[in-house]
This record gives sequence, structure tokens and C-alpha cells, in this order.
Amino acid sequence: MLRNKVLLTFLCVCLAAPGIDAAASRYGGNLVETVASDPKTFNDIVATDVNSTAVTSLFLEGLTTADPVTLKVIPDLARSWEASSDGLRWTFHLRKDVKWSDGVGFTADDVLFTFNDLIYNPDIPSSSKDVLTIEGKPLKVEKIDNFTVRFTLPVKFAPFLRAMAQTILPRHCLWQTVQQKRFTFSWGIDTPPAQIIGTGPFLLSEYHPGERLVFKRNPHYWKRSSQGEALPYLDHIIFMIIPDAQAQLLKFIDGELDAIALSGRDYPLLKPLERSKDFHIYEAGADYDSNFVTFNQNPGLHPKTSRPFVDPVKLSWFTNVQFRRAVAHAIDKKRLIEILNNGFGLPQNSAMSPSSGSFYDPQVTVYDYDLGKARGILKQAGFKYRPDGMLEDPQGHPVEFNLYTSDAGTASREQTAAIIRSDLEAIGMKVNLVPVEFNTLVNKLTSSFDWDMVMIGLTGGVEPHFGQNVWRSSGGLHLWDPNQLKPVSPWEKRIDEIYDQAAQELDDSKRKELYDEWQRITADELPVIYTVLGMDLFAVRNKFGNLKPSANGGAFPRPEEIYIKK
Amino acid sequence: MKNVVKHQSRIQLAFASFRRNRVAMLCFWALMVLYGMAIFAGFICPYSYQDENRDFSYCPPTKIEFYDQGHLSQPFIYKRSLTFNDIHRRVYVTDHAVRYPLRFFNNGRLFTVEAPGRLYIWGADARGRDIFSRIWYGARISLSIGILGVLISFILGLLIGGIAGYYGGWVDSVLMRLCEMFMMVPGFYLMLALRAAVPENFNSVQVYASVVIILALIGWASLARIIRGMTLSLRERDFVLAAKSLGVPDIVIIFKHILPQTISFSMATLMLTVSSYILAEAGLSVVGLGIQDPIPSWGNLLSDAMEIVPVIFAPWILLPGLFIFIAVMCFNVTGDALRDAFDPMFKE
Amino acid sequence: MIKHIIQRILSTILLLLAVSFFTFWLIHATPGNFFDSLRLNPQISQSTVEHYEKLYHLNDPLLWQYFHWVINIFHGEWGYSLYYNVPVTHVLGSRLFNTFVLSFTSLILTWGIGIPLGIWAALRRNHWIDRMLSVFSFAAFSTPGFFLAVLVLYAASRWGGLPLGGMHSPNYDDMNLLDKIKDTLLHLVIPAGVLSLSSMASLQRIMRGNMLGVLRQQYILAARAKGLPEGIVIYRHALRNAFNPLVTLLGYEFAALLSGAALIEIVCSWPGLGSLLLTAVRAKDVYLVMSSTLMGGVLLIMGNVLADILLTWVDPRIRYEKRR
Repeated sequence: MLRNKVLLTFLCVCLAAPGIDAAASRYGGNLVETVASDPKTFNDIVATDVNSTAVTSLFLEGLTTADPVTLKVIPDLARSWEASSDGLRWTFHLRKDVKWSDGVGFTADDVLFTFNDLIYNPDIPSSSKDVLTIEGKPLKVEKIDNFTVRFTLPVKFAPFLRAMAQTILPRHCLWQTVQQKRFTFSWGIDTPPAQIIGTGPFLLSEYHPGERLVFKRNPHYWKRSSQGEALPYLDHIIFMIIPDAQAQLLKFIDGELDAIALSGRDYPLLKPLERSKDFHIYEAGADYDSNFVTFNQNPGLHPKTSRPFVDPVKLSWFTNVQFRRAVAHAIDKKRLIEILNNGFGLPQNSAMSPSSGSFYDPQVTVYDYDLGKARGILKQAGFKYRPDGMLEDPQGHPVEFNLYTSDAGTASREQTAAIIRSDLEAIGMKVNLVPVEFNTLVNKLTSSFDWDMVMIGLTGGVEPHFGQNVWRSSGGLHLWDPNQLKPVSPWEKRIDEIYDQAAQELDDSKRKELYDEWQRITADELPVIYTVLGMDLFAVRNKFGNLKPSANGGAFPRPEEIYIKK
Repeated sequence: MKNVVKHQSRIQLAFASFRRNRVAMLCFWALMVLYGMAIFAGFICPYSYQDENRDFSYCPPTKIEFYDQGHLSQPFIYKRSLTFNDIHRRVYVTDHAVRYPLRFFNNGRLFTVEAPGRLYIWGADARGRDIFSRIWYGARISLSIGILGVLISFILGLLIGGIAGYYGGWVDSVLMRLCEMFMMVPGFYLMLALRAAVPENFNSVQVYASVVIILALIGWASLARIIRGMTLSLRERDFVLAAKSLGVPDIVIIFKHILPQTISFSMATLMLTVSSYILAEAGLSVVGLGIQDPIPSWGNLLSDAMEIVPVIFAPWILLPGLFIFIAVMCFNVTGDALRDAFDPMFKE
Repeated sequence: MIKHIIQRILSTILLLLAVSFFTFWLIHATPGNFFDSLRLNPQISQSTVEHYEKLYHLNDPLLWQYFHWVINIFHGEWGYSLYYNVPVTHVLGSRLFNTFVLSFTSLILTWGIGIPLGIWAALRRNHWIDRMLSVFSFAAFSTPGFFLAVLVLYAASRWGGLPLGGMHSPNYDDMNLLDKIKDTLLHLVIPAGVLSLSSMASLQRIMRGNMLGVLRQQYILAARAKGLPEGIVIYRHALRNAFNPLVTLLGYEFAALLSGAALIEIVCSWPGLGSLLLTAVRAKDVYLVMSSTLMGGVLLIMGNVLADILLTWVDPRIRYEKRR
């Protein structure tokens, strides 16, 4: 009898022990990160900059989200959904166990409020309106019951599920502001933190402008770990506001920060410190943002002066694809990666990044660094070289133009522009570097159109359709020749067709074929000439567990799962 | 008349006293050396300021060898090549098998080596350009901009300060309010805004001229105030009252009697202003709004040195800061000594 | 005297209007407005951006916009920050306080250390201490401030002990009052130290020069001849007269500190008015820039008026009426 009891007790202890360990060790602790500037607002609907949305994603969630590793769309606030056979009606079944942080339950009313009263409200300048408007028509959103919502699309829309990551806001605290027409100004940065309500894992607890943001655990959070534990584990997430990249690096080294994103240049400085400062550097793959140079191919006339936007002599060069191809061969991408990033980076040849997953097409034309080839192409196109090495066009004009960049002061941007400039000088082109203030640059690209060549970057993502404003010939961000009434060239016409078709093509492999064709066309016609992609590098202290850093999600795509190892 | 004669010998006395100050004379000659090196940069430096070689990014200073296996020989350097080690750090490997002798008085330059060897006396920057050469070509810009800017400021200051101080009353009020307006817009922002108003397609010469004018516009107001203050004090002096009672016209009094008195004292202030203009140009260029790459100025050479990683792995890029410091300090010491020398003369 | 002060106040108001309009015009002289950075986000269309522009009156003629702004100042409404999406006063307030803390500490350091060092140098003229201080002073105000700040930060990162930038530690909110004060003081060491270094150095030189000048005067000789103890000669007579001219500097000093601290704030990540202004100017946040410049202008003008009044009081030779 005694022996059985002992055995039984022993068995119970063995079974219970892991459970005791897990429950006791994971909870507690803080994570200290950094952002480069203050958020502009906590109102996710009107927010337009990444510093604000990085912060709002901690307390707001959407019907769907994307898995940081597989990049696939997975359920979030909606636990499941079905589509009608024609792909036009989508029914979402919402989770019933979600509560807002003030205790009120989350229901379909909140979803309807977010779409019908906020996003599609003509008085509210929401940035998501454009993504969620298909062919000029909004989505129809109806409530079926308290936990079921139906979306009716005007036409088939392939990116729909991904777009449903749109954050949902609480109706019960915001509907009055909409009625009183002051929604745009609500949830600004001076709002008392207790009034900012969300369903997400962390809630705003304090905000000191210019210094730091403090988020605390949401006690009502619905998500549970795979062992059924209530998430999140951490007590606080603190964002220190540090605009200067050097200061961020120094503060990480002296222990004040737990994580930073670094560039390839910082790697040899940090790597040897891994052991003494107890952290690890994660290499999360290629960056999403694109970096490129582009030439102004706008043939239009200034409405007031009737003078062409671009000097016709220069326009004849910029619209000549051989000219652009020669330039592509003259850019020393390998050296750019070496000098700027100590070797961490990839030459960029395509509009999509390798981190984009399935839509990335590596089979595009690659322009290797070959000055001889570049000169040969130019000569074949009728350009000639003077005895002093200067290039002139078939009509005898010397090839000289201005390269505009943002003067935002990052050394790497200046170095890149300077290197490109001397590369082009090596094939006889005279390039004048003109750094201008960022807003001035944007004004040139979008309204005054008085530029020759620009070096700039755009944010990218997994879904090619969300960049349609750049690639459609009628788009406002179709930088080299925006706002076309009709596509000017056959290849731009084809890209328009691809974008129309691919948005409505629900078969993934057929979509990929279309977007592959798009990438190949852009690599052949070179409306933009890509330069290099950086690598996403994160340094994080070793004490954190459940890290899944990725290029898509950053260092902490799932902050609710992170815990401090004891 | 008697006053004027006494004055001249006082000026001579003041200069003599300045010459006795050994530290100040040392600084003065240091400045002459700096300007001399700047003027002869084309001869002294082995490379032009835009001669880049990307195989030698951040190359450390080259060691010049004088001994070949124990025997004294013609100076030479070994070949070096770039590799990245396992933590992506730049490492330059010396190849003792290949050597490049130094050549003197070759191609109009004091010393060079034959390609593909590269001689980096003070190291290379990110694109393999010689820091030594860039510092001395940069000296041309940094040292001249200050002086030109001060000249323009001074002329403006003389005009406005002199007139304001002499006439007083509402003329003084209006002119001093104008000065205050310029002094009130925060200097850094005035520079930013003025620079933004400069058209973009200016070539480097035009940018240089614009920076000179911008610097002059920031500093003329305080110079004008100082001159106005001096004029205010001077106009009550005996020789001015004497001239007025003799019926000499105001303009003549201002330009022939008062202002020459201020010049000797102003010289000291001018030297101090040059040093502040050199610092201002450095500040403007560091942020990328002054002289543009590839034309070097000590300020824009420093913009690479504002980041911790290049400084830790290539500390030689801090050298331009040292030269700014030396030049500014020499101007300050000289100006201060000049002021000391003229001080008793002015106070009486 | 009273008439003079009233005259000054009136011209001050006029001057403030002129400066604010000048700044307003300068901001608008550079092309492009605040919402241009929106346009470069591929997910936002033209009509959304236009919507924003209408909301904030940015398409009205220049003079109207300025006129509205001036009227509002008197209502206590200083404009809306387009960049931060809150009224300007909310953002200005906290940042102004932080810059004030930094500047005030700098001022105390400058005067608290500069004056005694100047006196010391004057009393030990040509002694090795004097020479050393001379060298140190010249070195201090010959170094570009931003450069020195960067060097000090690197040195501090090597040797540890001091926080590298910012104003508070991450766990500031959990500290008690005493610890909070200690924490802020620690964070002040590098920025205030670098900021005060050059003004400390020049003040030291000036004090020394004044002191030497005064000590040469007849009345000092007379006081000594009368048999007064050296201590009283120096600290009651000489010092007071040497110190007077410096009072006029106080006005300029404080205002100059406020605007000159901008670069140091940025390098040391100090959350003050300077770093705020730089962001605002770059983002063309019109109302924020104007209000901040106005603040700076008010302080500087007050400093100048103070200086002028003090100058009149100190040097009776200078007259303000038209010469007869």
C-alpha cells in the first residue's frame, strides 16, 4: 500500500513539475525597444507614418493577420470565414471571447463601425480608404448577427483577405466623436492613455513626448499560448524615442535598450560584443523596401508657362531605353554593398524583394557592372565620345543632368548618390548632385515635375497590388510619367492589364504568372533602375524567448509570445 | 591734427606690443603655414581631391619604408589589398613581395607613387580618396570662406553701425531694430532657410558664393552693433566735437575721423568673427547644406566622422576636426592678442 | 526713462510681428507643403491628400493664413501642429521646459565656474595656472560644439558610468523623487557640460580681462594706499566694477543658449525645443515653427532690452536723444 502511494505521489509530481515550471517562469519582465521619432497620433485610421502604426499595432487588431514566417493569411479577430462560389460574398465568423480593454465585449458592431462610419466616411481622411476601394466602389459591410459579418465585393479581389488585417476600432467609445465630427482629432498624442482602448496584447500606459512610450499588459487579452496560458507574458514594452541612429547604437551597447535594428556597417562593431553584452544578432533576410534611381520621362507641358517639364534634349535621352540600360550597366552594385554595408546586402534587380515570398521572380534580366558594355550600348544608340571622354548625344549635345536626392542626412544615402555619380562619370555623363529637402523632393515628383533623375526608395510588402499607385499608368506615384490619361507605351498598357487581371485572379499560381511577367517587363524596360537591397539585421538580448524575427514582422512580430528566460 | 599724429604712433606701438606676444606670433605664423599649404595644395598633395579608388575603402595610413632588409634605401611602400574577415570587418593585407617606390617632383607633385600603388599618408575615406590631399584642398575652401564672409559683413556693419551710432535718435532706433531682427531669427534656422532659397542647379562656384553671402548675413548684425557702440562712445570725443565746430560735414566726420578709429579695434573683432564663420561653415557642411561633395571643405569632410562605426574602424577621418580646431584657435589667439594690444589705446 | 521703456515695448511688438512674418514667409518660400510626404506612400491616392489640404486651410493666400494666426495668438490659440496632430501649445510646453532645464543648468555652470576661474586667473596673472586656463579656454571655444559632443559620447561609451543621451532612464516612472532628480542630473552631465564649455571659456577670458583692467585703476591704488585689507580691495571694490559690464551679457547669454542648443540636443537626444524645431522646419509644420520662433524671439528681445537698459545705467556717457 505504501509503495503504491509513493509511486502515485512520484508520478503526480513528475506530471505536475513541467506545468509548475512553465507557469512560474514565463510571466514578468520588460522589453525596452526604440523608435526614431514620436508617433503622430494613436488614431490608426488617420495615421500615415510608420512610427505611429508600429505603436498602434500593439493594441489594435484586425480580422486577419499574416504569419511572420510563412507569410500566409491567418485568423485573428475572426476565427473563420467562407466565401461564396463567385468570390464576391465573404462571411466572417468573429471570435466570441474577445473583450476591449475596458471590459466591453467585441462584436460585429465594432466591425461595421470601423468600415461604414470611419473608413468610408467622406469627412474622415483615412489612409486605408484607397486600398479598400475597388474600381471606385467601397465594400459593402453588413451585420448578420452579433458575431457574424458579411462583406460584399463589387468584383473579385485577390488581396481581400490580406487587406482584412485592417485594424478594428471600438464603437462604444468613438461613435460620439464621429457624430460631433471630431474623430480626426481624437486619440491624438495628448489623449490620456486610459482612454485608448484596444483588443490587443498591450495597452498604452504612459507617453512622455520626445522621451518614451510605455505599454502595459492587457489583462483582458483573448489569445492563449499553446499550453493554454493567458498571454502576454511580459509586464511592459517600453519604446525609447531616439531619433539619432548613433545614439540608438550606443544605448544598446550600454544596456539601456534590449533590441535594435542594425545596418551591415554596424555588424563588425557589435558582433564581437555578443558574449560580453549577452545578445545575439539575427539575420532576418532581405529588406522589403526598394531603392532605385529613375529618369523623368514626362512629356507634358507646365499648365501656366506652357514650357515642357523636361528639357526636350534630355527627354530624348531619358525616354531611350538603351540609355537607361547603359546606366544600369554602369552602377557598381557590388561596391555599394561593400562600402555601405560591409557586404550585407543583395543587388536588387526586381520590383519585389526575395523576402516577399512567392511573388518574387528571380528570373529577370540582370544588368551586371560592365562599363565597356555600357559604352558599347551607348555607341550603338548613336551617342559619341569626345576626346576628353565626355559623352554627347547624336545631335552633339553633351550629356549632362541633375540627380536629386533627399538631404535627410544619412551617410549611406549620400555615399550611394556620390558613387552613382562617379560611376556615370566613368561612362562620360556629367551628373550634378542636388540634395533637396524631402518635402521639396516629393513636390517635384508629384506636382511640379521639374527633375531629371531622382534617387529614392519606396516601402514594399508581400502583396504586389498594394503598390498599384506606382505601377498603373494612371497612378499618382507612377513616378517617371504620372497621371497618364491613357497608357503611353505598349508595355505600360500591358502592366495596367496585369494589375487589373491579377487583382481579380483568385488562383495563386495564375496570379504569380501575371506578376512574374510584370517584374520581367520592368526589368527589361527599366522605368526605374534598382540598386541594392539591405539585409534586415536585429540584435536582441539573449534573455528573451519565443523570438521569431523576420523581414516582414521586424524583430518582434508576435510580442505577446515573448517571455524572459529565467 | 595733433590727435591724429599721436594716434598713428599709438597704432605702431600697439602692433609692436602684439609682436612681443610670442604665443600670438606663433599662432599667426601657424595660420600663414596653413594658408601656404592651402595655396600650394596642387603641388604638395599626391592626389587630386576627387581621385577615388574603391579597392581601398577606409585604407589605413600607408607606412613608408626606408629600410630594405636592413639597408637604407630609397623610400617605398608595399602593396596592400582589401579583404573582409568573418565578422565582415575590413582588413588590409600587406604583400611584401610587391613594392612601389616613391617618386619625387613627378607630374608637378612633390611626391607620388606609381599606379596601381596608392599612397595614403593619413589614410583613405569610404571611397578610397586620400585624406591628406582632401584636407589641403579643403583648406582652400574653409580658410577662404571665412575671410570673404567677414569682409562682406564688415562692410555692411561699418555702414549701418557707423550711421546708426553717429546720428542716434530714430535713425539709430530703426537701424538697430533691423539688426535685432537679423539677430533674433535663430542663426541655425536662418542658415537653413536661406540655403533652401538657393536654386538647386547652382554649380560649385555659385554654391560657394551663396555660402559666403549667407554667413555674411548672419554675422553682420552683431558687428554693426559693436561698431555702433564704439561710434556712440567716440562721437562725444574731443576731436569729433572739434571737427563739428569747425563745420566739417557729417559724412566726412564719420568716414574720415570716426571709422578709421574703429578699424584698429575692429581688426581684433574681425579675426574672432573669421573663427566663428569657419565654425559656422563647418556646421552647415556637416549637415550637408554647405559645400557639396566632391569639393572638400573641412566641414563636409567631418560629416563622415559623425558616426561611431567609421570613427572606431577608421579614426583618421577625424583629422579635419583637428585642423578646424587649429585654425579657429589660431584666429582666436591672434584676435585676442590684437585686442589686448589695442586695448589701452582705446580705453583712454 | 519711462517714455523710453514705453517706446521700447511698442517697437518690440512691431519687431515680433515683423520677425514672425519673415519666418512665415521663409517657410513658404521653399516649395512643397507638409502633406507632400504623404504622397510618396503608394497606398494613398490624390483625393485623400486633397482632403487633408482643405481641412487645414493650406490653399488660402499667404497673408490670410498669417492674419488668422496673429488673431488667434491673442485668443491664446497658438495654432495646430499638423505634424503631431495636437494644438501647438501642448507640444511646445513640455519641450520648452526640457530646454529650459538644459539651458538653465548650462547657465549656472557657465557663470558658476567661469567667473571664479576668471577672477583666479586675473589674481595670478602670468602664473602657470593663468596660462593653463588660457590654453584651456581657447581650446574650448575653438572646438565645434557638435563635434565635441560626439567625441564625449564615444569616450563615455568606452568608460561607462554616464547615460549616453536622453533625459530619463527607462524606469524613471518607478523612481522616487530623489532618484528622479539624480537620474535627470546624470543625464544632464554630457549635454550641459558640452553646451557650457565654450561660453564658460569665453566668460572666463572676459572676466579676467575686466578684472585686470579694473585692478589697474586709480581708485584701487588709492584703496590700497589707504591701508584696506587686500581681500576687501579685491572682493568689494574691484570685483563689483569688473562684474558690472558682464551683467549686460546675461540677457544675450540666456537667449543665445536657447537657440544654440539645437545641435547639442539632437546629438545627445535631449527632448527639447531645438530638436522639435528641426523636425518642424523639415516637415514644414508652419504653426509650430512660427510659435517656437516667436518664443525664441520674445526671449532674445527681452534679453536685448535688458542689455540696453543695463548699458545705459552702467555707462552714462551714452545718450539716447538726438545730438544737439
